[in-house]
Amino acid sequence: MIAPTLTTDRLTLRALGPQDAEAFAAFYADDRSSFVGGPMNAEQSWRTLAGEIGHWTLNGFGRWAVTETGSDTCIGCVGLWAPLGWPEPEIGWDLFEGATGKGYATEAAEAARSYAYETLGWDTAISLVAIGNDASARVATRLGCTPEGTFTHARLGTLTIYRHPKVGG
Amino acid sequence: MGHRDIPVLRTRRLELRGPQAEDYPNFKATFTSYRARFMGGPLNDYESWMLYAAEIGHWEIRGFGMWMIHDRETDHTLGMAGGWQPAKWPQAELAWMIWPQVAGKGYALEATHAARDYFYRQAGWENAVSYLDPKNLDSIRLAERLGACRDRDAQSVDGNDVVYRHPSRAELDNTRLAHGIEMEIEHYADPTFKPKGFALD
Repeated sequence: MIAPTLTTDRLTLRALGPQDAEAFAAFYADDRSSFVGGPMNAEQSWRTLAGEIGHWTLNGFGRWAVTETGSDTCIGCVGLWAPLGWPEPEIGWDLFEGATGKGYATEAAEAARSYAYETLGWDTAISLVAIGNDASARVATRLGCTPEGTFTHARLGTLTIYRHPKVGG
Repeated sequence: MGHRDIPVLRTRRLELRGPQAEDYPNFKATFTSYRARFMGGPLNDYESWMLYAAEIGHWEIRGFGMWMIHDRETDHTLGMAGGWQPAKWPQAELAWMIWPQVAGKGYALEATHAARDYFYRQAGWENAVSYLDPKNLDSIRLAERLGACRDRDAQSVDGNDVVYRHPSRAELDNTRLAHGIEMEIEHYADPTFKPKGFALD
């Protein structure tokens, strides 16, 4: 399955593709990615990108490339994420260098959440935030989430579970 | 071409189709086991699932990738075969893996021969290599049965692998080599098959 395109006031969320390999490599080369499984080399980040795309086929949903409408440059990766072993489907957001501080994560995550609730029929969702990732925790709070315990992942360590408000909530 | 339209290949015993969610359990069983020691494993559960997702995404990024091999009679999966070129690979590779419980029946030979034929005839590949662990004698033997030869001049992935270069499309076009491979496959499919005269040299 290929990701449908979503639009918000400022952003276009489109399917990830080969054109995003460089943006992924740059993000995952940086220490900023340490909260989401990085840093990693370009070979590993290429496989991560391929895995993001394959997630759509395996689950029928996944994450999008976030672009500023009018530009095709991938400035982040936001969407719905549930690899095998995940506690339950989550809404995740990674904003790349230079794209933070503008409310883009919140705006893109809201679009992804609306897609999950309205198109996929989810009635709840979580987001997992690594301990110490304060910027991400603030996004969760802005989205109306409340913390409810932790989940420990073999690779990513201990993550705080944030619960999203229910549909219409 | 992306993973929306992964072609289906059929051989005498096998059907090669794009990987799907329901095919994952056997992939996981193999990649989390010692069997995967020459394929970057064993992997933990998370890594295994992410690699499987990447196998699918590879089709979208490269336009080719690895097929899931199904038994045409039972539809059970037997392994994977196809093209593989993640970042850092010097060139496109022909790759294969067979679940351990169904090894030794010529499935990898039959599937890889079909995949190679598809890449040469339908996808415009000029040549192909396989990057093999020098300790993986089963795979080295399979490369040789496919007519591939060690290429000491070709760049390897990371220096720990050996490069086997496959015969070109012309070298497989109605040649004795191609007939020999097809005879071997025929023998696996029908063990009572007795070829009428092998090449003697």
